[in-house]
Amino acid sequence: MKLLSRRLLHAVLLLLAISFLSFALLQLAPGDYFDEMRLNPQISAQTIEGIRAQYGLDRSLPVRYAFWLFSVLQGKLGFSLSSGMPVGPLLWVRARNTLLLTSTATFLAWALALPIGIWNATKKGKWTDRVTSLATSTLLTIPELLIFLCLLLVAARTGWFPSGGMISPGADGLNALGKAKDLACHLLLPAAGLAMVMMPALIRHIRAAMIEALESPFICAARGHGIPRVRILFRYALPVAANPLISLAGLSVATLLSASLLVEMILSWPGLGALMVEAILARDVYVVIGVVMLSSMFLIAGNLFADLLLFASDPRIRVE
Amino acid sequence: MANPLARMRIAVAVSFLIAVVLFRASHAPAVAAEEWMVTDNPPGHGGGRIVVGLRSEPKTLNPVLATDATSRDVIRCLTADLIHINRETLKTEPALAKSWEASRDGRQYTLHIRQGLRFSDGHPLDADDVVFTFQLYLDEKNHSPQRDLLVIGDKPIEVQKIDNHTVRFGLAQPYAAAERLFDGLPILPRHLLEDSYRKGNFGQAWNLSVSPSQFAGLGPFRLKEYIPGQRVLLERNPYYWKKDRDGNQLPYLSEVVFLFVPNEDAQVVRFESGDTDVLSRLSAENFSVLEKDQAAKGFHLYDLGPGLEYNFLFFNLNDLSEKARPEIAKKQAWFRDARFRQAISAAIDRESIVRLVYQGRATPLWGSVTPGNKLWMDSALPHPAQSLERARQLLQTGGFSFKSDGSLVDPQGSKVAFSILTSSSNPQRTKIATLIQDDLSQLGMDVHVVSLDFRAMVDRLLNTYDYEAAVMGLVSGDADPTPEMNVWLSSGETHVWHPRQEKPATPWEAEIDRLMQEQMITLDMSKRKRLYDQVQEIAAKNLPIICLASPNILVGARDRIGNFQAAILDPYALWNIEQLYIR
Amino acid sequence: MKRWHKLGAGVVFLAAFHCLILFAGFFAPYSYTSRDRRLPFAPPTRLHFFDESGKFHARPFVYDIKDDPAHFGAYLTDTGRRFPIRVFVFGAPYRVAGPFSARVHLFGVDDPGRIFLMGTDAFGRDQFSRFLYGGQISLLAGLIAAFLAISLGMLVGGIAGFYGGWIDNALMRSGELFLALPWLYLLFAVRAALPLQIDSTQVFLLLVAVMGLIGWARPARLIRGVVLSAKERNFVVAARGFGASDSYLLLRHILPQAGSVVLTQLVLLIPQYILAEVTLTFLGLGVGEPMPSWGTLLASLQQYFILSSYWWMFLPALILMPLFLAYYSAADALQERLKSVSL
Repeated sequence: MKLLSRRLLHAVLLLLAISFLSFALLQLAPGDYFDEMRLNPQISAQTIEGIRAQYGLDRSLPVRYAFWLFSVLQGKLGFSLSSGMPVGPLLWVRARNTLLLTSTATFLAWALALPIGIWNATKKGKWTDRVTSLATSTLLTIPELLIFLCLLLVAARTGWFPSGGMISPGADGLNALGKAKDLACHLLLPAAGLAMVMMPALIRHIRAAMIEALESPFICAARGHGIPRVRILFRYALPVAANPLISLAGLSVATLLSASLLVEMILSWPGLGALMVEAILARDVYVVIGVVMLSSMFLIAGNLFADLLLFASDPRIRVE
Repeated sequence: MANPLARMRIAVAVSFLIAVVLFRASHAPAVAAEEWMVTDNPPGHGGGRIVVGLRSEPKTLNPVLATDATSRDVIRCLTADLIHINRETLKTEPALAKSWEASRDGRQYTLHIRQGLRFSDGHPLDADDVVFTFQLYLDEKNHSPQRDLLVIGDKPIEVQKIDNHTVRFGLAQPYAAAERLFDGLPILPRHLLEDSYRKGNFGQAWNLSVSPSQFAGLGPFRLKEYIPGQRVLLERNPYYWKKDRDGNQLPYLSEVVFLFVPNEDAQVVRFESGDTDVLSRLSAENFSVLEKDQAAKGFHLYDLGPGLEYNFLFFNLNDLSEKARPEIAKKQAWFRDARFRQAISAAIDRESIVRLVYQGRATPLWGSVTPGNKLWMDSALPHPAQSLERARQLLQTGGFSFKSDGSLVDPQGSKVAFSILTSSSNPQRTKIATLIQDDLSQLGMDVHVVSLDFRAMVDRLLNTYDYEAAVMGLVSGDADPTPEMNVWLSSGETHVWHPRQEKPATPWEAEIDRLMQEQMITLDMSKRKRLYDQVQEIAAKNLPIICLASPNILVGARDRIGNFQAAILDPYALWNIEQLYIR
Repeated sequence: MKRWHKLGAGVVFLAAFHCLILFAGFFAPYSYTSRDRRLPFAPPTRLHFFDESGKFHARPFVYDIKDDPAHFGAYLTDTGRRFPIRVFVFGAPYRVAGPFSARVHLFGVDDPGRIFLMGTDAFGRDQFSRFLYGGQISLLAGLIAAFLAISLGMLVGGIAGFYGGWIDNALMRSGELFLALPWLYLLFAVRAALPLQIDSTQVFLLLVAVMGLIGWARPARLIRGVVLSAKERNFVVAARGFGASDSYLLLRHILPQAGSVVLTQLVLLIPQYILAEVTLTFLGLGVGEPMPSWGTLLASLQQYFILSSYWWMFLPALILMPLFLAYYSAADALQERLKSVSL
């Protein structure tokens, strides 16, 4: 409990530090949101100055930071200049979309990587292991960009899959089942691509952890006692191998919000990463900070979650 | 007349007549009062829906506050203006105002509003709505960009209600393009917005979270639903005031869906796969790709020729003494020499730009008025082909010389080298800059291309003046030259090569100032054309901007959309959305 | 030396590839700026051994291509004239190691023939030559970034692991901070703030260096783990007992034990940073024209018309795959080999 409260305190301090540093960082880039209007011959400079003052962009940095903190406490997280609405609601919608994508992909990746990794660990050195190793190495070397571009090409050319977006234009008229089917159709390609990117490294790590566990002396002893292979695998080896795997799982959770930037850009999935890139290019500072804060929260929560899980599952750590 | 039957017949006939007269009298106001506009398009039939891709989300549905193009695209389908510019003929035509008179001195315009029109929620339209609307545009606290359009001769336009359906507008000075002012200024419902305006929170009115019942306009469609991040849904406005020749009330379509598709490549993909029905302004390369599949997949692509966009190269001619940039100030000695600029213009291969950057779907330009603007283009302007010879001669008369290895040096002996700034988000302009770099290397100049993100570039061009040369493009908002005033006036803020001059820096800029001011108040069209021709000629001789090319307007639409007729002025594909129907 | 030969295939391939890139000027038939405006998006040139009449030529040759008047952008082969491939030809000058320049290229064809092994891009520039020259920038970028990340990671991880306590805590927390901040924004800001006179290649390398400096957090964590276990070893304790200073212990005894981890990490980070360079270019922060890099070659694939019509623009990405495979297998082999060397 003491550990938990201390970590939570650390987390809050860290988030504050991140927010302040980000705020300061964001002032470095030249230009602001309203510069686009300056190239319009039909709008005068006074109007632009007036609009800028309306949004409080002419105030100094500490003042703006204070206002932003106040807005965070109100749950609004500042104001988005690009969308004309508070940042909070904008973020939740996009974060939800991203989480849908990445959690599906992570789930897929783990669901496939666990059995494959464990199986290959048991069959180490045999031809199935070699073939799988080669396949994962190859998959690892394909730049994820290429994977997504190929998927886009396949979707556009064959028409079997939707080529982007999250829902079809007419989806609002469907019933709940129809909507779910439509969403699943659109989710398939991006999630599959992302899973393909995550899987190879996962398989390698799982295999390595299992091999290390399987080669330890006490497993040998268990074999010697005649305990059946399957029981050894799941009751004895897996819990030992779980330690590094849990750290890995924590890392997966931590990167849930940031892993999908490229896929969102290429397959136009309306998620958080795409929002951040647009906001950076448009100098929509409060959106950028909002995204950063959300991702940081996930990062810290993921690490904390992994540490807690480790604490709960591995007795060796508890003893320390 | 003692015949009782005859007396009865006469009584019945007379009472019948009285009844008819009374009947007609009671209904006459309704029939005569609905003065709808009759369009002359081929008639279609009702029903159906189209899906259109939008490149970004609209930021607001409030016409007074909307500054970005996407918001205006959506607002245009929901609202109507008093006088409209027909995108095909580029001339004004009556819209909500059925007729108008201008006073002899061109300073007063009296507009007559159609009778019996209703907003999309059924509330009737009258002159109070018009007066209120213009009050909103002109209120400085709203910071409306439209206000700047309505300030003529340093005084805002005056709006006066004459009677329930007549409004008079007073200008401080005669203004040739006065009629065209009204296009793009939608009329807003007083009954829905007056409240928030009086309370002082008009800034929040009609933002994207507005409920459809609180929104009403005079456009062909009304708001049905907005889903953030996904789409905007519009439904047919049952109170729309236009009908076709056969008497069918427009619009034909029952629904319009605006889908958010963030970039052009995604738009092309979705158009090809049938998700969207209209593709507006695609690039030349995508045009070639889609062209092959046209017939098979049930759509057609249209190349409408040059639009009103002009891409150009220009140099930093600002007075940099306060900003203390000695490096650039030194190079300005070259930039300020008109022969240097003329040499560069002579050395640029515009044909290659048209062919390699736009796949042939563009027009080379030697002036800012494109061939698409038939009313205002000066056809007498010369169009010299690329000539390195002439460029070299011009440079040599300017005191430059070529060293043995071919590189160019100025009269003081320093090598001619400079950078060209472009925006990284626009691949065409970066390609243009690369081609120019190659062309100029044949003149011995060492040019490198610096690609920054858009806002950083604008910051350098208009704030810090920390650049040497740049490639940029502008789109004229209208065929008429008056919206471009701020580009040509030396005091203008978008006089890109040297904005906000206190007094004209060169005699030719002073001359352009004079000509532009004069054409603004001259009411005779042919006189205005002559004045503007002179402006174009001075620009062609002094080359503050070296115009390069204008891309053609390329649009696509599914075959099943009837009455599809694209135009070269924004909105290219949907300006006649009320006339579109599904076959 | 014997145990190193198992690194075998991967390392040999890497060495050969890097040699190819290093001497790009020699192996590439054209310079990276030479363009033929007649031939934008020309497909890869086909090599022929048999001519039209069926006669076999020992020396392969190519045909010239012309615009197809019927279709804009398509090309027809002109079988009129054969252009045999010549070796050791004189072509565009290129730099070799600083101020020396040479003009001899490994192969080429006479004008007006053209040999485009990987086709051309929008300006008619040879993609094969640009791939080789681009490799110079991209590999350099990857090396610099990986090196910086590892060095800083070693420094921070070493100090954190060695001293432990609050220093360790503070450093690791600031590592988390580093991972969280919006560095993309910083990169845009840095790019926009630099003066115009700086050469775009230098700007790009600066951006990559910034990326490398930012990326110290993960290697630091790994090295910290190694240092934590290494500092408890007997010989380290003994050296301390003999009065060795902290820096001596770190440099002479502890960090060398992290050597295997460091080397493996380095080899793994290089491909990651090459890919990061590609992503940066995708977002608009790439190296400026006309300088090629693998990122700019691949960034053109973002545009749908290139993706669907010009298949040869995929080739750079496909060639990257065996390169990365070689890096990963070298890293694997290194890990195997060096595991036995260290604890």
